[in-house]
Order: sequence, then structure tokens, then C-alpha cells
Amino acid sequence: MTDMHKAYGATKALTSGRIELFPGELHVIMGANGSGKSTLCKILAGSVKPDGGTITLDGRPVDIPDPKAARELGVSIFYQELSLSKNRTVAENILARDLPTRAGLVDRKAVMAQAAQVFAPFRDVASDGFSMAARVGDLRPDQRQLVEIAKTFAGNADIFIFDEPTSALDRAQTEAFFKELDRRKAAGAVIVFISHRMEEVFEIGDRVTVIRDGETVSSAPLAETTRDRIVAEMVGGDSGASVFADPPEAPAPGKVRLELRGVSSRRLRDVSLSLHAGEVLGLGGLHGQGQSDLLRALFGLEQTTGEVMLDGAPIALPSPRRAIRGGFGYISGDRQTDGAISGRSIFENVVPIHLFKSRQHILRRGTLTAEVDRVLQILATRHGGTGLPISSLSGGNQQKVIISRWLMDETQVLLLDDPTKGIDLKTKLELFALIRSLADKGLAILLYTSEDAELLANSDRILVFNNGRIVRELAGDDRTRLMLTSAAFEAA
Amino acid sequence: MSGALKPILIAAGLVVLLMIAGEMVSPGFASPEQILRLSIVAALLGIVAAGQNLVILGGREGIDLSVGGVISLAALVAGNVMSGSDAGLFPAILACIAVGSLIGLLNGLGVTLLRIPPLVMTLGMLGVVQGLLVVARNGIPSGRAAPMLSDFVSQPQWLGLPGILWLWLLIGLAMAGLLNRTVFGQRIFSIGANEGAARLAGVPTRVTRTLLYVLSGVFSAIAGLCILGYSGSSFANVGGQYMLASIIAVVLGGTPLSGGRGGYTGTMIGALLLVVLQGLLTTLSIDESGRQIIFGSALIVLLLFYGRSSGLRG
Repeated sequence: MTDMHKAYGATKALTSGRIELFPGELHVIMGANGSGKSTLCKILAGSVKPDGGTITLDGRPVDIPDPKAARELGVSIFYQELSLSKNRTVAENILARDLPTRAGLVDRKAVMAQAAQVFAPFRDVASDGFSMAARVGDLRPDQRQLVEIAKTFAGNADIFIFDEPTSALDRAQTEAFFKELDRRKAAGAVIVFISHRMEEVFEIGDRVTVIRDGETVSSAPLAETTRDRIVAEMVGGDSGASVFADPPEAPAPGKVRLELRGVSSRRLRDVSLSLHAGEVLGLGGLHGQGQSDLLRALFGLEQTTGEVMLDGAPIALPSPRRAIRGGFGYISGDRQTDGAISGRSIFENVVPIHLFKSRQHILRRGTLTAEVDRVLQILATRHGGTGLPISSLSGGNQQKVIISRWLMDETQVLLLDDPTKGIDLKTKLELFALIRSLADKGLAILLYTSEDAELLANSDRILVFNNGRIVRELAGDDRTRLMLTSAAFEAA
Repeated sequence: MSGALKPILIAAGLVVLLMIAGEMVSPGFASPEQILRLSIVAALLGIVAAGQNLVILGGREGIDLSVGGVISLAALVAGNVMSGSDAGLFPAILACIAVGSLIGLLNGLGVTLLRIPPLVMTLGMLGVVQGLLVVARNGIPSGRAAPMLSDFVSQPQWLGLPGILWLWLLIGLAMAGLLNRTVFGQRIFSIGANEGAARLAGVPTRVTRTLLYVLSGVFSAIAGLCILGYSGSSFANVGGQYMLASIIAVVLGGTPLSGGRGGYTGTMIGALLLVVLQGLLTTLSIDESGRQIIFGSALIVLLLFYGRSSGLRG
């Protein structure tokens, strides 16, 4: 693939992606968040249409307009977000792309037999409760991931793409998977591999291509490179070049406001941390390593085990309402699903938290409107009247309205889940200025953002996540792109 | 504001047009007595539509198909409790509100806790209630309205208007107050507009939604009581015709089936419009089956028509 590029609106996901794949090799793609590695893979798998560039297969230029065309060319991709149907059996899922039929009907016996054959390398590590006839919805996450892997291997593909395939697997399962990769390689297959674990990359990879800011910066055999060189290439020389300021000076820490001890959930593993009043604690690492899950769990949206202490007292967080009463506030970057009460007025989008906290039953519009105006002014929200629908505002102003909700009454801990997603730069800077001023007033803030530059510029400390665990804490002068990227690929 | 007002004005204009058309086809159609009679029928429908309106506003495909069953059951229960005596009226009112809230509560719990789609839950409930009616009645009409109740519904009382019209007006004011001046009303709109975001903003989504179904049951039960007063005794499936009509009244009044916006004032006009249309069709001697065909088609056409312009279907 040469000169591949792809833009989403004004965002250039990929500007000059290039990769050469040889038969019988395991080719690792490395890159920091937003570098374009997933986009490159999706283009090869036909699920993203490139804006330009050429793909050559066995010396012939090819066109991959959709996933079906990719499969016909022998490309099979593993989906990080599982693509399985929960209500179908393991066997049906493994062969979902091409169910064997007899006289136009699904041939159940053949399905079972063929699926069992594909799954054979993993049979011994799938452990209890697993059978070809089991419903996928009843399986554990690691078992589902094995089914997803088997599904990728089913069929006659000879180019396999794996994007973080081992996140849910234990050691034995991972080894069985690697063994199968070796077998496929020996048979001449190409394996494209995206991983969040550096040690894994050196364990199994043959070649590595590094992508930075949508551009391929290097491609070399792994035997000829080092971990440090890969990290340096991922980060690049201009690590300071960003519109955001350098990391803030750490303020004198206030008292411990929030403490977590051994918190685990479906996605989190043994997370312990302490958050001080007046502190902005950043959650870093590659995307989807448990950062959002932690914030959602603290807001009562996910079941957890372990201990959560607020101001020294244990607190249970079974629902958003309990979390709000406890002093938590949550702001999501997914405004359309989690934030905006779409179709309703700006006024109605600001007041609910206040109404809930103050236990009112009568809506006093007059008094409330004055309060709403006050909090909207804190953020200089531009609007044509609080009676207008929230959808009449730009994305940035909508997010300001949603943030204003939490400013009407006192909030102790603010959980920010990628709050600046899809917002213009000017508004972003305003929001981060507000976040800092809230912290200065004594709020404790947990911040996750999908852009590393934002995280580095606005966090007093950064906890780096990998696969649901905290693997490193970065403070003081350690808060650099280099350290953050390096830590992101570290195993716990 | 003009966006919310438009369907109401259109419906109100249509009411006037239909009255004029009726008067031209059959002189006397727009006489004061006839208008009073139509208003009473509209009030009966309007009370049912109040509950339907709340459930639809709450969104997530909210709809109450069990209203007809609740009306019939409430009429049966009330008729037997009062059995023609004024002394029994008060216990009868309590009994039918109890029946309505119980059925509404079951609907609400089914929809929120068991996550059964409202269409399926309330349709199933309708089946259960209809079955109960067959068992209870054994095919024979039973129960009689108290004279006081009959007077309340059909005799001019205060300022020349029967009590039921005052009741309807009161419900109209109460609904407007509930929706616009209470936190509960705010919550109804927010769960209808975006339930997920509402939950993250501290709205007790399940409790609110359950209460909407309870209120719908109560409104249907009150309507059932009044219908008993209107017809004197409870006959089989007296509520059957109200299911479709209540939904059409809500939609005509400018509340989209997708919920989250709208209000009851429009629904009241919608109920009037529907009843006037029904009166006109009767005057033109089109029978019940013909009217049902016209109503069903009217709903589909309305959804098509409004849906294009204002996202009525969501």
C-alpha cells in the first residue's frame, strides 16, 4: 500500500500511509493515539474507503471498495469491538461469513464439524463451559475473544489483520494464539498486528512499521530496531510543538478527596488511586484501555468490586443518582447520546442536576432563569436565549451548556470523559481554562482525553492505563510525550 | 413557540370548517344543543387522551393500547359498586381509580423493569382485561349509574354547562401546570427526548416512566366512570373505540409519536376535531365500520404528512 490517505471532514486521519507486506511475515504496526494505524488497517479490510493511494496485491493494483471485496482478495480482519451475535452459537459465529449449506438450508452438522476444526488450536485453552453449541452471549470475555479470533481464521484468507487481539486473553490462551500465528505464517500467510504491549511485539513480530500523524515514518525488521527507537519514532522530534502549554506546575496537593482501592469491573483490573482536592489527574494510554470505564464506573454506570472512598468514607455507587448525590459530576464527549437532552431548550438542559439536588417539585422558571444565565456566563456561552433548543447551538456551545449543569450547585469530583471531542480549538482552550479554575477552587478532577497533547498540557499527574490496569504514574518532568507513549505500551 | 402552536391552530381551524360544513349539509348540526352534545363526547375522549398523551410524551415508543380495556373494566366495576345509588358513588370512584392505577402500574413495571416494548405490554394487558370482562360479565350487561353521575355528565349544571366539561377544563389546566410548571413535567419531556442523557442528568427514568402508565390507567378509569354516567349502564366493550381515537387525538394535537415534545392543549383540540368529524360522518350516515376505516387511514395519512415536515415519527 503506498501513499494512502483519508480525511474525516477537516481531520486528516491518514496523510501518507505506506506499508509493504511479505508472505510468511508477522508485520507489526505501531503508532500513538490518532496516528492513523487503525485507519490504514480498515482501508485494507475494505471498511473504510480511502481518499487516494494505491494498493498492489501480488504485483497487480487492486481496488477494495467494501469488506466483501476484501474477503474475496483473501483479507480477513479481527474486530476489536467484537462483531459476534450474542444469540447465535459459537459454531455459527465462527462460520458466520460463509455458513455451509445443503440444498439451500444451513447444514447444521457441517457447521459444527467445520467450526470445531477451525477452533481446534484453541480447544484446550478455552476452559470450562465452552462448546461449539454454546450461545456466545453466555461466554466469558476471554472465550468470546477466542471465538472472534477463530472467526478471523475461518475461510481461505491469507492476509490476517489483528487489532489488539489479546486484550482479554490469559497467558496460555495468548500462547495458543501465537502458536497458531506461527503455523499460518509458515503456510505463507501475512499477519498484520496492532498491539498495545511492547514486549509482545518483540516476542512475535518480524517487521515493524511505525506511523506518526498519518504518515509512515519507518519500516524495519524488529531484529534491527529497539524499543527506545520505536518509541522515539512514534513521538517524533517535535514533541513540544502543540498549541497547548507545557504541563502545569503541580499545585500544593490538597487533602485526599477520592481514593480507590483495588477497583475491578468487566474492563478494569485492580485500579487503585488517590485524587486530591484541587488536582487534575489525567488518565492516559492508548484508547480504550479502561479510562472511560473507570469514569463511568465512578458515576454508577458500571458494576465494580473494590473500595471507593470519598473524603475518607466508603461510598457505594450503584447508580448515577447516588453518584450525583455523593458529589460526583460526569461529562461525556458523546454529546448526542450522553449529554444533550436533544430537542429541549437550553434552560431545560442546564437545570436537571440542580432540580434533583435541591429536591424541588415546582419549577420556578423566574428564579431558575437568573441562575441559568449566571452559569452560562461563566463559560461565555453564546446563545440566542435560554428558551431556544439546545440543537440550535454549535457543538462547542452545546458542551458548555452541558458543563454548566454541574456549576449550579457544588460538585466535589468532576469526571471528564473525553469532554472536548469534536470541539473547535478555541472552545477547547476555554474549557481547559475553566477546568483549571475549577480545580483551583478545590474541585478534584479526573480527566480522560483522546488527545495526548491535551492530556499532557492539562494534567497535574497522569496515570497510564494498559488493558484495564494502571501501569505507570507520570508526574513532574516525566510528563512528556516520550514518556507517555513509552508507558502506554508497557505491560503491568 | 410558533412551531408548537401551528398544529393546534390547524386543528382548531379544521374544527370550525367542519362545523360550517356540517351546518350546510344538515341544518342544526351547529346548534347550541348539538355543540354541547359533541363537547361532552369530546370530553370523554379528551380524558382518555390525557393519559395517552403522557405516555407518548415519555418516548421510547410509549403508547397505551390498554385504555379501552381499562375504560370497560372501570365502567363495569363502578356500575356494580354504585348500582344506581348516589350513596355508592364515592366508593365507586375510589374503586375505579384503584383498578386504573393497578393496571397502569403493571403496564409501567412491564415496560421499565422487564423492558417489554410498550406496544406488546399494553396490547397483552388489553387481552387480559378483555378476558376478565368476559368472565365477569358472563355476557350480560350489569351495573347502573347513580343519578348524580348521570346528571354530572349530561345535565347542564354550572353556568349552563355539565360538570364533565368543567372536569375536562380542570384536567386541561392541571395537565398544562404539570407539564410546564413542575419538575415531574420537566422529567417527562427529558426522558422522551433522550432517556440516556436524562439518566446521566439525575432523572429517575424508571420511576417517571412507570408513573406515566399509572396516570394513563387512572385517566382511563375516570373516563370509564364518566362513560358509565353517559350511557346509564355498562355494556360490553364500551371502551373499545377509544384506543385508536385517543392516539389520533394526541397526534392531531401536535405531540409526535416519538415523544419528547408537545402538550395537552393541542390534544384537547385534537379530541374536539375527531368528535366533530365523527358527528359529521354520522350525519352523512356512514356507519361505525366506515368511520373506523376513515380514522385508521386518517392516522396513517397524518403520520405521513406531519412526519415529512417535522419529524413526527422521530
